[in-house]
Amino acid sequence: MKNLTLLLSPRFRGARNAFRTAGTRERKRAVFLAALGIAFWAGMFLLSTRVLLYFKEAEIIGDILAHHLLSMVLLTFFSLLVFSHVITALSNFFLSKDLELCHATPASMEEIFLSRYLFTIIDSSWMVLVFGLPVMLSYAYVYNSGPLFFINLLHLGTASVLIAAGLGVLITMILVNVFPAHRTRDIMMLLVIFLVVGFFILFRFLRPERLVDPDAFFSMVQYLSALNAPASPYLPTHWAAEILWHHLSGAPVEDYWFHMALLWNTALALLAVNIWTARAFYYNGFSRAQEAKSRRPGGDLFFRILIRLYTLPLARDTRAMLDKDIRTFFRDNSQWSQLILLAALVVIYLYNFSVLPLERSPIRLEFLQNEIAFLNLGLAGFVLSAIAVRFIFPAVSAEGRAFWIVRSSPLTIRRFLWGKYILYLPPMLFLGEVLIIITNNLLQVTPLMMWLLSITMFFSIFGVVAMGVGFGALYPRFVYENIAQVSTGFGGVVYMMVSTLFMAAVILLEAGPVYILFMAGIRNQTVTVLNWLIIVPAFCLVLALQAYAVVKPMRMGVRALTSD
Amino acid sequence: MTTPMIKLVDLTKTYRNFKAVDGLSLEVPAGIVFGFLGPNGAGKTTTIRMMAGVLKPTRGRIELNGYDLAARPTEAKRLVGFIPDRPYLYEKLTGMEFLRFIGGLYGMNGGEPPDRKAGELLELFELSDWSNELIESYSHGMKQRLVMCSALLHAPPIIIVDEPMVGLDPKAARLVKNIFRQQAEQGTTVFMSTHSLGVAQEVCDQIAIISKGGIIARGTARELSERAGVFGDLEETFLKLTREPGGIHEEPHPVA
Repeated sequence: MKNLTLLLSPRFRGARNAFRTAGTRERKRAVFLAALGIAFWAGMFLLSTRVLLYFKEAEIIGDILAHHLLSMVLLTFFSLLVFSHVITALSNFFLSKDLELCHATPASMEEIFLSRYLFTIIDSSWMVLVFGLPVMLSYAYVYNSGPLFFINLLHLGTASVLIAAGLGVLITMILVNVFPAHRTRDIMMLLVIFLVVGFFILFRFLRPERLVDPDAFFSMVQYLSALNAPASPYLPTHWAAEILWHHLSGAPVEDYWFHMALLWNTALALLAVNIWTARAFYYNGFSRAQEAKSRRPGGDLFFRILIRLYTLPLARDTRAMLDKDIRTFFRDNSQWSQLILLAALVVIYLYNFSVLPLERSPIRLEFLQNEIAFLNLGLAGFVLSAIAVRFIFPAVSAEGRAFWIVRSSPLTIRRFLWGKYILYLPPMLFLGEVLIIITNNLLQVTPLMMWLLSITMFFSIFGVVAMGVGFGALYPRFVYENIAQVSTGFGGVVYMMVSTLFMAAVILLEAGPVYILFMAGIRNQTVTVLNWLIIVPAFCLVLALQAYAVVKPMRMGVRALTSD
Repeated sequence: MTTPMIKLVDLTKTYRNFKAVDGLSLEVPAGIVFGFLGPNGAGKTTTIRMMAGVLKPTRGRIELNGYDLAARPTEAKRLVGFIPDRPYLYEKLTGMEFLRFIGGLYGMNGGEPPDRKAGELLELFELSDWSNELIESYSHGMKQRLVMCSALLHAPPIIIVDEPMVGLDPKAARLVKNIFRQQAEQGTTVFMSTHSLGVAQEVCDQIAIISKGGIIARGTARELSERAGVFGDLEETFLKLTREPGGIHEEPHPVA
């Protein structure tokens, strides 16, 4: 196993060297991200603590709810971990660029496999620390637990991660060996996306919020029996949850040692099963994954019509760019498949509005509907920013290493960036208006609000798209394994923050004038001259802000790309 | 006096504290194949990337047929066909779609003429059978040949090429050498960096040797050999010139 440490060393040395040689800019970024992470942790901790304290106040069902929530949290993390391991295992075991070198060395197959196993665990499990730890700490705080809780949390957490890793790696190895080699990655990615979407929609449609609303159940007996229904005794998270709950609440637990032994035995057994499976199938799978892709492009007529319609009024060079971008987008499975996630997001967003229990609110219905519709402008803006960070922000980076073609061509960077802008603006306008108009219809808002919000959203989208393109040019990343990585970097975070602030500023500026106009409409009063003196400048400021949000980021983007 | 096709004036590129190209000045006339030789890390690729407009110089000026690349980039770039050393392309386009895309970028009118020219070039570089396949399925050599098609598509008066023979089989390498010679005879200026001294000797009308970011010698292969005091063998000349600090300028050799 001497080679194992050698195989692990490049990753750790690389990280150490990157840290040592980091410039001031990189260090500032790291500090910014760390601050953001700590703020997120604090937020998660406070939120979880508040929920748990609220539960604790309920005398009969409080502890049952907290116990149930613990099981749900652990199960959710465990499912996410398995998904995450499937995806990272595919990359670490079969697609990484350094694999060719590793397999050419005299290192044994088991050594290579174990080194990749460890990389997969590290790559997949950081999110448990980020999202899971604050929740567990709030449990410890609210239930005033002793050191045994933390000791058990540490080793049971490790065992659970090992089980998730074992399952994820095993699933990946089987899939890679079953599907045709050149399609493995595409099929797996689609499979995972469909699973995530299915899981997400199912979870949302079960309406878990009803769990904290006993009125929704026919009787208290039915409610309590629903809560007490045990999770499957075959789930590893059930074994961990029982032990942890015992250390939190002091409640007696059956099979304490048996559950612990089950957890660790499963973890180690899965590792052994994986090593046996790897001996038989890993090399074969790796070899299949190396086989060349040879696919013919399809749907040429569809592309031609789409591109023709889209690029009709444009100049020849911009048309060529857009033609290339549309074709590339629909041929890259890692790009278009995200549209499935987008569709799920929109469906869930609209569904949430259709089940709002507005009639049970003590506030006057008409007022509430319009107030929510106004706030929905911000929410829809946030959803659009989230979509833009995934699709528009990476638009410049999507040129990848082929960006030399654009730079050496007569196409100016300014025209290049505006070309990207033109490409993404119409679909975003369509999506934004669909979100606003349908939700406003569901809320049955007044015609004045419908017009006002639709127009505000329409002009705001010009800014959201420009910021996406501009910030994407400010923080480009031309070397990546998967385009999705571009959105999750520092620039993506900055874009999300600025875009959210922009929408918040639009809402704040419009809040006063909208209230005046709305109340005048409800009371059938005329708007006074004094009122107009507030309304007109406010709307002018909104327009100016929206125009600034278009011009400034685009200029910054052009300057950034031309300065290298 | 005629305008040089390529003119570099005091060209400098600094990366943090390292000067990759240091005050390089050069003039290349029309209708020749100009070889740009130098050891690894001498600044060849940096110079070429600046000439192609991919990299911005820290200082200095680049003129292509009289157009200042910094002041009039669109006009200057329209004159150039650039072939980089590593052919990163849009993998999800087919070979033919890629050529149409390049034709569009360089302002060629759409429709039949660019398609016909693209077809001829694909035929010439033996890529016709692959023209409707995605580029991701091409080998390194095929991608290199496709980039060459794209560089010749708009019939540019200047071709800038970085290490053209890497990844090519002997047949394709012979084809490329012949094409460069034909292009030069028709008036095109070919500016070519290469490691292959054999290629330089065979194809280039003039050669410049770059070391540590500056030009240390320039002339025909024969002139350089003579100045270095090594007769006939460009490899010996190259090794001798690049071994000596400051090249032949610092320690001139007697001309035989």
